[in-house]
Amino acid sequence: MSKERNIKALWRNLQMALLIAGLASAIGLAVNSRLLWRVLTGRTLSEVPATVSEPTGTALPLPVELDEVRELQGDAALLIDARSREAFAEGHLPGARSLPWGEFEQLSASLQAEVSFKAPLIVYCSGYDCNDSFLLAERLLAAGYRQVRVFEGGFPEWRDAGLPVAGTQP
Amino acid sequence: MILSRDALYHGSRLLLGTIFCYAGLVKALDVVAFAGSVANYQLLPYQLNFLVAAALPYVELAAGGLLLAGRGVRPAVLLVAGMNGVFMVALLSVILRGLDIDCGCFRPGGEGHTSALAALLRDAGLMLLAAAIWFSADRRKV
Repeated sequence: MSKERNIKALWRNLQMALLIAGLASAIGLAVNSRLLWRVLTGRTLSEVPATVSEPTGTALPLPVELDEVRELQGDAALLIDARSREAFAEGHLPGARSLPWGEFEQLSASLQAEVSFKAPLIVYCSGYDCNDSFLLAERLLAAGYRQVRVFEGGFPEWRDAGLPVAGTQP
Repeated sequence: MILSRDALYHGSRLLLGTIFCYAGLVKALDVVAFAGSVANYQLLPYQLNFLVAAALPYVELAAGGLLLAGRGVRPAVLLVAGMNGVFMVALLSVILRGLDIDCGCFRPGGEGHTSALAALLRDAGLMLLAAAIWFSADRRKV
């Protein structure tokens, strides 16, 4: 086979490879379209009916996005870290308070003693694949807190946005 | 000579096809966990991790499936080599940055912990398999 023919054959195979990759990717994206839509729009909890946000008692926590968390973080809202103590120690959002979901029973009394029911809370855990922030937020609402929201992107989204992280991990 | 080349071709093709089908399948079944594995590399923005995690397993499955079926073997080998090359660059960057993460090559977020160096060596082995298929397929119409 001549060199020229070899290159032509390689080129043809490469085109075919790219076509296969494109088709397979399209199938993958289509199969996971619901998950991707939720991630890309950050609207996992969008099915929550609008009525629950009335101040008379929120049944379900509402989502909050990264930009708003940045604005509220500090004085405007208390961040609650629902992850384990170890994960919290390694790295957490600045000013966040550790309240591992598994220890809610033991810790809720001290939280209620220190933090008023009127205080806005933002709960987070380790991103879209973790439910603990949502579960914890529900418990906080049930305990009497009025303004509880869930930052679904959680610690990974915050860290990957290059925002400052507190903790032992550099 | 012809016989051993046949053996090399079919053996490598079936082995590499099985590996990629397995890798693609376990990841396709748990996309969220795989997105976490991709995020551990800290190479991509948060949401892009999910796009990669959604698409990559299906490309692995397609390439592995073609190798197993013995159809379109050459394009499939190119795909495997291309993906493997990207994996190796990513793993190398993990080693250079001193990250201690699981490679996420097979079972995402799974129990086993494969170091980046071990994964890099394994990928080099897969690259050799791919090269063996490419060159032993010389006279075939594939």
